[in-house]
Amino acid sequence: MFTCTVSPTRSLSLSLSLSFHSPPTRVFSRSVSVNSPSRDIRIKLCTFFPPCIFLFVILSSLSSCLRKTMLHVTAGRIAGLLSRRGGAAFSSSSSRMASHGHVGVTEQADMSVPLYCDRLDTPLPDRPYKDTLSAADESLKQKEKGPWNSLSKEEKLTLYRMMFNETYAEMKKPTGEWKTVWGGIFFFIGLTGLVVLWQTHYVYPPQPPTFEDEWQAMQVKRMLDMRVNPVEGFSAKWDYEKGQWK
Amino acid sequence: MYRFAKAALNLSGQSARQMAVRQKSDMSTEFHAKYGPPLLIAGATFCTAVWAYVVTSTGIAWNLSPVGKVQPKPWQEE
Repeated sequence: MFTCTVSPTRSLSLSLSLSFHSPPTRVFSRSVSVNSPSRDIRIKLCTFFPPCIFLFVILSSLSSCLRKTMLHVTAGRIAGLLSRRGGAAFSSSSSRMASHGHVGVTEQADMSVPLYCDRLDTPLPDRPYKDTLSAADESLKQKEKGPWNSLSKEEKLTLYRMMFNETYAEMKKPTGEWKTVWGGIFFFIGLTGLVVLWQTHYVYPPQPPTFEDEWQAMQVKRMLDMRVNPVEGFSAKWDYEKGQWK
Repeated sequence: MYRFAKAALNLSGQSARQMAVRQKSDMSTEFHAKYGPPLLIAGATFCTAVWAYVVTSTGIAWNLSPVGKVQPKPWQEE
């Protein structure tokens, strides 16, 4: 039931002839045409905006679920899209410039060798986390080749951290990303509200006089006098003896 | 055209690098832990404030039912 109209902002000259024997007739002489070209353009522009919300929701939900599956490429792409949109300030600009071959470039990951990853669906990554071992680490690795009962708890933990970056518990830790997502959703819905606000001022035509309170009150009385829908509908809700709504 | 779309999607090579580095996410967890709650609250407040104003004070006709709300007024010219 969204009839969106606006109180008159432009000057109208109305001559009202309230002859209610027949349905009310009015003579309007309006100084502005109904569908000005600029209004058409504004309407077309404004209908583009709500898809932004859907785009944001879909992209964010896609990226968060795809990140955890084997779809590396699309996840990387979409996450890259998202993070590029919003995270440009947080990523290092030098790594971004590497693809353009600018001076002062940080090293890029070598994609031709096995890489380490913290993924729920990859329990044993292609290589250990720490591949350059210090002398102490080397000696520990030698000790690992013997019976494991001889290893202390700290040594076991050190060996684990040499092999892996994050534990499964750490990988599965909830991120609170949903708060950012919902915050963004609400922000864009709020922005849409501002768009609607702008539309009411610049796009909507003047509101027909039939929406005014006085007209509505007279219309209600006329409908009750005509006994509109007296069985279960409109007039059925009016108490004719007491002269009030039931 | 295809090359343009390919380049547009992988503009900075950042997505490829993200795969290479295999971090948890570029928008790191610290970001969401730190800024998530205020973003959520700010977004929700902004949204409710704007829409409360739009719904009530812009003069948009929502055309709600007059039953129980509108008191009839005489319409006939005598």
